Amino acid sequence: MRKVRTLALGASLLVLLSACSTGGGSKPTIKIGSDGFDEARVMAELYAQVLENAGYTVDRAGIGLGTRDVTNAALFSGQIDLKPEYIGSGLSKQGGTPSSDPAKNQSELQAKLATQGGGITVLGYTPGQDTNALVVRKETADQYNLAKWSDLTAVADKLKWGLATDCPTSPVCAAALKDSYGIDTTKIDVTLLDACSSAMDDALTNKTIDVAELCSTGPEIIVNGWVRLDDDKATQPADAIAPVVRNDLLAKTDKTAFSKLLDDVSAKIDTPTLAELYKEVSVDKKDIKDVAKAWLQANGFLPVAS
Amino acid sequence: MIDWAWIGDHLDDLASRTLQHLYLTTLSVAIGFAIAFGLAVWSIRRRAVYRPVLGITGLLYTVPSLALFPLLVPITGLTDLTAITPLVLYSLLIFVRNFVAGFDSVPSDVLEAADGSGYSGRGRFWAIEVPLAVPLIVAGLRLATVSTIALVNISGLLGDRFGGLGFFIFEGIRHSFPTEIFMGGLGSIALAVAVDAVLLAIEGRLTRWTRTGPADARPIADARVAT
Amino acid sequence: MEVLPGIVRWFADPTHWQGPAGIPQRVLEHLLISGAALLVAAAVGLTAGIAVGHTRRWAALAVNAANIGRALPTIAVMAIVLPVTAAMDPQNGFKVYPAVIGLIVLAIPPILVNAYTGVSGVDRDIVEAGRSMGMRGSQLLVTVEVPLAMPVIVTGLRSATSQVIATATLAALFGGPGLGRYLVEGYAQRDYPMMFAGVILVGVLFLVLEAVFAFAEARLTPRGVPRSGGEARAPLVAPGRP
Repeated sequence: MRKVRTLALGASLLVLLSACSTGGGSKPTIKIGSDGFDEARVMAELYAQVLENAGYTVDRAGIGLGTRDVTNAALFSGQIDLKPEYIGSGLSKQGGTPSSDPAKNQSELQAKLATQGGGITVLGYTPGQDTNALVVRKETADQYNLAKWSDLTAVADKLKWGLATDCPTSPVCAAALKDSYGIDTTKIDVTLLDACSSAMDDALTNKTIDVAELCSTGPEIIVNGWVRLDDDKATQPADAIAPVVRNDLLAKTDKTAFSKLLDDVSAKIDTPTLAELYKEVSVDKKDIKDVAKAWLQANGFLPVAS
Repeated sequence: MIDWAWIGDHLDDLASRTLQHLYLTTLSVAIGFAIAFGLAVWSIRRRAVYRPVLGITGLLYTVPSLALFPLLVPITGLTDLTAITPLVLYSLLIFVRNFVAGFDSVPSDVLEAADGSGYSGRGRFWAIEVPLAVPLIVAGLRLATVSTIALVNISGLLGDRFGGLGFFIFEGIRHSFPTEIFMGGLGSIALAVAVDAVLLAIEGRLTRWTRTGPADARPIADARVAT
Repeated sequence: MEVLPGIVRWFADPTHWQGPAGIPQRVLEHLLISGAALLVAAAVGLTAGIAVGHTRRWAALAVNAANIGRALPTIAVMAIVLPVTAAMDPQNGFKVYPAVIGLIVLAIPPILVNAYTGVSGVDRDIVEAGRSMGMRGSQLLVTVEVPLAMPVIVTGLRSATSQVIATATLAALFGGPGLGRYLVEGYAQRDYPMMFAGVILVGVLFLVLEAVFAFAEARLTPRGVPRSGGEARAPLVAPGRP
């Protein structure tokens, strides 16, 4: 009987402990999420640490959640409050037509998101951009004389492609390849993998695929001497990154101060910085938290002593 | 092959993830045990129920974890509940099968003797049937716990916050970093060895009165189970 | 649930039944990788389990190793093996072999442990009776021990099969074939009908295989041996006696 009592005590303690973790201070708890690949997670972590330094409690449950479809669903339903968004691709997902002008992308995205999930605000975007890149091994580029995406049209069916798992339904992927380059992804050899991931890299290295969809800031492109093909018909949106936030969260904060906090960080992230952060996590295998913290400290957002 | 420096740097992360792994395992197994116990008792009292119970828990068992975890997110959110629910559901089949086999293994003459000695239904159950069923009950507990430990890793699909040691497996896959994959995988095994030893010791205590010889590593099997 | 009509519509769509991403193809792929893994696992697990059960040597080691092996996350095995197999064969070594190897590791424990328990659990009196009739070790094994252990052995195979069918979906994580593709792609594209279709198809496969097993068990178990494999209330009867 004593055993049962101890067990019951332990169980109720567990329940109590888990309930207690949702307690807040004067500032609201912010649920941050992100896509699954490293660059998105680093951006989310940067925002998270800056917010924590300003006194907010941050719940990181949604970081590394999945593809855009998944994170959007989580954002619109309130499971996460904030995530870093690639504004060009994000706009395209909402049915808009992105351009190479980030300011335009941002305002159009804002218009679309104003009516979703109770209202979502797009904050300031980064000068740095990360686009979807099609990458081949040097031998492949030499063999087929590949320098730009248009060069792929003639030899598309001779190559093995590695594309993102959401490519078939993504307007900037399958549709773009078909409409602008005449490449029908349903009729060629395509393996669907997580884009911007090691699986994609491994597949390209091992010759499982010949053409890989990667992030343009990915360090492995340079490290492996791969060739990034030029998107000559400009189908891929220039993706600057901006935090998208639920309005009901913003209502609980001092909106101006909150935005400034994140905008200041975003303003300092240029393309070389993105590439560097990505490299530290992906190639140097450093922890995302450490990489984010080091950068924030070096740029004066976090006190060095912490 | 193994980056020992990384391991040294990440001892505290490994420790906290191990704790998370233990937490998820313990909670899931405890809840699964309780539910399955009720289902098993019901199946014993009403035999007709057993087939459907087995069928449903068996079907639950085959829902791929790859699907069950993400499918729950819209319903239960990004909470521990989403991580625990599939684990509980997966454990039910193993538990129920072994519990029922355990109760079935009580020889009928012992039951008759108990009735003859004046035991009531409830009294007979707790004083006779449960203690005699303990070996198979504990076998079920060991099996369910070990498989839950493996499944906790898959909860890492839900995002960085979950997964226990599975976080390192997914992270290692993301970065082609075998050290992390090894630590995640070996960690699961180490945990399973430790927990299994504890459960074995508990079984030893609970069945001390039955033994005439030493309790060595008794094999646990999906065997001896009526289907 | 609004998802239900979507699922029905998904199944009703004829394009989903044709082509390399169609249901028949995916089911076949799934069965192939599962079957390959189970075959190898059965070969290893049954041999080891029956041998250990017959000779009673290395029993504790084999069985405990097998049980602890259940805690090995299949996905970790796949990830570790991938670089090796991909270097050997860029196509199948990347997409297929890691999954098959991972599934083999998953399937061996239940098969091995049950084979051991079944064979070693055969009533010693019967074995002695056989020996006194002049039967050699291998003869005993084949005509007495294994047939009597059949129900328990088959239970192990059944358990392994259901685990493999469900876990084979992991192959899709590395671009591999099988029903897991519906899960991974359905999730990434937020196509819930596709995801549910994948789950349902795995479930159907499981039910079909369970039926096959029930049939096979009825056939393989010699008359007089209780089908359930439980020592429950019926004593084991010598083979041949009705």
